[in-house]
Amino acid sequence: MDNSLGTGIGWRPEIAEAIESMPGIDWVEVVAENICPGHLPESLTRLLDRGITVVPHGVALGLGGADRPDPARLAALAERATALAAPLVTEHIAFVRAGGPLTGSPRLEAGHLLPVPRTRDALDVLCENVRIAQDALPVPLALENIAALLAWPPGYEELTEGAFLAELVERTGVRLLIDVANLHTNHVNRGEDPVTALDELPLEAIAYVHVAGGVERDGVWHDSHAHPVSQPVLDVLAELCARVSPPGVLLERDEDFPAPAALAAELAAIRGVLAAAPATAKEAHHVR
Amino acid sequence: MSDDARQRLALAQTSLLSALVAGTPVPEGFDRARIAVQSRALAAKRADVVAKVAPELPEILGDGYRPAFLAYAARNPMPASGYRRDALSFAEHVISAGIVPAPALRRLKAWWEERRGPVPAGGSHVKKHTSRVFIRMGGGLRSIAPQFFTNVR
Repeated sequence: MDNSLGTGIGWRPEIAEAIESMPGIDWVEVVAENICPGHLPESLTRLLDRGITVVPHGVALGLGGADRPDPARLAALAERATALAAPLVTEHIAFVRAGGPLTGSPRLEAGHLLPVPRTRDALDVLCENVRIAQDALPVPLALENIAALLAWPPGYEELTEGAFLAELVERTGVRLLIDVANLHTNHVNRGEDPVTALDELPLEAIAYVHVAGGVERDGVWHDSHAHPVSQPVLDVLAELCARVSPPGVLLERDEDFPAPAALAAELAAIRGVLAAAPATAKEAHHVR
Repeated sequence: MSDDARQRLALAQTSLLSALVAGTPVPEGFDRARIAVQSRALAAKRADVVAKVAPELPEILGDGYRPAFLAYAARNPMPASGYRRDALSFAEHVISAGIVPAPALRRLKAWWEERRGPVPAGGSHVKKHTSRVFIRMGGGLRSIAPQFFTNVR
């Protein structure tokens, strides 16, 4: 597993100190748009000096949107990948804005990741956008499945999630960042069984895995990243690990930060799931 | 790939996003209750981001900040120019609606007067607070930098 990342945590300024003092952190992920390449936070620089891998995680490209990706945003992401000497960069399969010239209506910003319809049109557009992004980035790109509160109507779901991801990987060589909390979210909110999705998606393309906590309210799962990781999410991680040994796993926490010991316990629970996985699970590797 | 695919996708995504943030009719086939949940989630997160970008606004308005912001957001989609502009527009909305008591109104007007002009070299007063904006966005969106939402660098 020489290309493996190991177990990591999402770097946030609120927990920077805790992360630096936590044993067994192999790598961190940082939100790409929140850092400035010339002025990295000191804590992040110290981690880099210690040889900890830092992966920039973008949220603003909107590669699943109808427009071609903005060259300036792509250049900014590339610049961050270089500044961090990152082995890869990650983004999302989502749209974050709409309107504009293609529609003859005003531009609208979502301020959030929204699900793309799983149509042939959307897949064709996404594949072209991904190729444009790959050409602009100095390192491989991996894309994350998002958590959705809503579903597109049946007419817009020509492909299953697994089939959509499989074709995306086959056509572009892009790698996948599988968020098991998001698979759980889509189970609760859209009735999509994570086991089916895991059976269909190209596991060998997995670059790493996200794990996060959320909360269910009125039958809707909110992927809050403000709650502890719950057993159903760890169960999806176990399902994934029964099929493949992921090169990396990362815990995400964004709000209501608990004491460092609680974060360490969550990481220990994640490591426990990885350790309990059958040795027969094959290792994911590059598919480029 | 034809540009027709981009256009069809653009129209579908725009009609959904417009229903979520601009109050246009829910496109056919969507679950209206879920659209409402998503719409509230987007507005709540926008309120959170504006509160981080312009922390004086929730400080001045206190408990009234959130309901006032959500009422404003229901009628005003996020400006493409970003959250600084959003914060200013919200302040203008509150000032002109006359919905806050006099002492808060005075502070709000002073805050707005100080920031409404063109952005000076080196950044506006608001920008001082925007160099790092970390906020829960759920749905896979983590910490949010102001530039995510803005074309103004």
